[in-house]
Amino acid sequence: MKGTWVIFRRECASLFWTPLGWLLLVAAVLLNGLLYWAQLNQTGGNVTASLSAAMGWGIVFWMVMIFLPPLLAMRLLAEESRTGTLEYLLTAPVSDAAVIVGKFLAATTFMAVLWSSVLLYGLQLQWLGSPPDWAALLCAYLGAILVSGLFVSLSLLASSLTQAPLLAAFLAIIGCTGWLLLPMLMQSALAQLRDILAQWVGGWDRAEAWIQSGIRSIDVAMHFQQSFLPGVLDSAELVFFLTWSGLFLFLTIRSLEARRWRV
Amino acid sequence: MSVSAPHAMIEVEHLYRRYGQVLAVEDLTFRLEKGEVVGFLGPNGAGKTTTMRILAGYLPASKATRLSVAGFDVLRQSIEVRRRIGYLPESVPLYRELRVREMLRFHGRLHGMDRASLAKAIPRVLDRVGVLDRREQLVGNLSRGLRQRVGLAVALLPNPDVLILDEPTSGLDPLQRKEVRSLIGALAQDHTVLLSSHILAEIELICPRVIILDRGKLLADGTQRQLLHQLAGDQRIRLEAMCGSDVEAARRSLAALPGVASVVVGERVGIHQAFELRGEGDLREDVGALAMQKGWALRELSLTRATLEEVFSKLVLGELGTAASPALAPAPPAAQSAAQSGAQSAPTNLLQLALPDAKVPSDPGSKPGGAIYSLNPFDRGASRDLSKPVPRDPEPPSDPEGCDQ
Repeated sequence: MKGTWVIFRRECASLFWTPLGWLLLVAAVLLNGLLYWAQLNQTGGNVTASLSAAMGWGIVFWMVMIFLPPLLAMRLLAEESRTGTLEYLLTAPVSDAAVIVGKFLAATTFMAVLWSSVLLYGLQLQWLGSPPDWAALLCAYLGAILVSGLFVSLSLLASSLTQAPLLAAFLAIIGCTGWLLLPMLMQSALAQLRDILAQWVGGWDRAEAWIQSGIRSIDVAMHFQQSFLPGVLDSAELVFFLTWSGLFLFLTIRSLEARRWRV
Repeated sequence: MSVSAPHAMIEVEHLYRRYGQVLAVEDLTFRLEKGEVVGFLGPNGAGKTTTMRILAGYLPASKATRLSVAGFDVLRQSIEVRRRIGYLPESVPLYRELRVREMLRFHGRLHGMDRASLAKAIPRVLDRVGVLDRREQLVGNLSRGLRQRVGLAVALLPNPDVLILDEPTSGLDPLQRKEVRSLIGALAQDHTVLLSSHILAEIELICPRVIILDRGKLLADGTQRQLLHQLAGDQRIRLEAMCGSDVEAARRSLAALPGVASVVVGERVGIHQAFELRGEGDLREDVGALAMQKGWALRELSLTRATLEEVFSKLVLGELGTAASPALAPAPPAAQSAAQSGAQSAPTNLLQLALPDAKVPSDPGSKPGGAIYSLNPFDRGASRDLSKPVPRDPEPPSDPEGCDQ
């Protein structure tokens, strides 16, 4: 675990010391800030709605979630593999898992720094005399970090599959988008087909319940929006995010290991 | 299996590594004792890097009966092994965005060194490789040679028992090479060093012991002297004399000298005729006496000792003549069988491969003894062939670095 800490520190340093990190940060914060400001204007100063738009409901939030982790993760494995430093890391006296987890934590920390801008909006509201619901805001912040972690781990997996950083980012963006939109698409497909299927398939109700639970078990947006956003800290939701992230990290470690055989 | 002596630092027995259909390393067996400096020699694709990567724990072996470093199993105790290895890959992977000092500190931390020992060790290793004044510079801004040295410093920092250096001198200018060579020589005192190179002159200078690989197989393993003695066999005498027009008669009288195994008639330069004699011991006295007796005016009478390059090209190009192959019995205890089988199978299948015709004489006997100087104005004055030692510094004329960036 000491190795994880060392890797984590180095990755954080390099994320915050390269122009790419700051560019991404500025772009994301700017867009999200604009959205927040527009929302604040549109709703005539509805603080809660604006904050939740900035953190969880707004399109910018999910766009950032889809695009940033892939861009961060492409540097973490694919580029290191291309420049050869991965060989250096994987022959250092730390386990593969320590390397991956260190990188994962660093990228997630970057995302946490990014979303902490929304906490600043909260502080500003407090200062202006209309304190937000801090518990809900902090809970949403925690949720945003967990969602980021999930997408970072998914992107790391994509990054471990190839040596070309751009391809890794592309794969990861597709993966994240798919992961986010698939439940929605499946729901609408289900809605279209429900009547037809109900006629033809016996015991459709049970089958549908089964499919629905399957969809729910990958539905990131729903898990985030229904639990963290209103300020409910549910351990089941924690488990949902941690399990998926853990699974992707595990697959990433395996994929690195497999690459040693293939290389 | 051989009993592992307490001092064995690297033990490899029957190592195989497969990349898909390609067998990159095949039945490789060798061992390094503590404090040895051993050179891995082989053409590109011989399996040097693969073997080093396997030892460093980057690649798994496909099969091996024993694979250990400093007494730890490479597969099962990988972390322990990695703690004891300083591995410098050929590409010298360093983080470009870090400063030299930071890169070293990061490496030290990965090795679990604490702040105090790092503060002492970092200036020490930087000083040792001669980049102490560059410690605040970004790694990415360093020249290739300096980066190579920083890579060496990184490998040296945790004071590992074993150093595995993949082409440590590639990409360096002759002066830097010389420095790195002397550095590695100095390291030998307290580290076991396994280094690879395809520059023969280099290995010849640094490594007392040489392991020659080709296409994943071990061709020879032994000290340079052993290899030269066993593989190059006889001494070679070069004679240039004014022996009149009857060259054949001169050749016959030379061949009649005791101890002479063969006489090759070389080129004729003006009035001088060149010969190359092979045989046991130093034949110069006898040849000189013969020349006096016959009244030949001598221009050159010299003894040429075989070089590693010759041995190497013999082994790898499959030039191993029938005369030399009975003598082939690699000396070190661990590697006899593997080397022998490897070396004997090599000539048949390698001869046709990849090499320009000029380098593979169809009949070794008809090859002139190496034209180092020619009066032919269209010959640009000089040429060099494989039977001559490589000029050591500066760079060998056939630049082996074409493929390195």
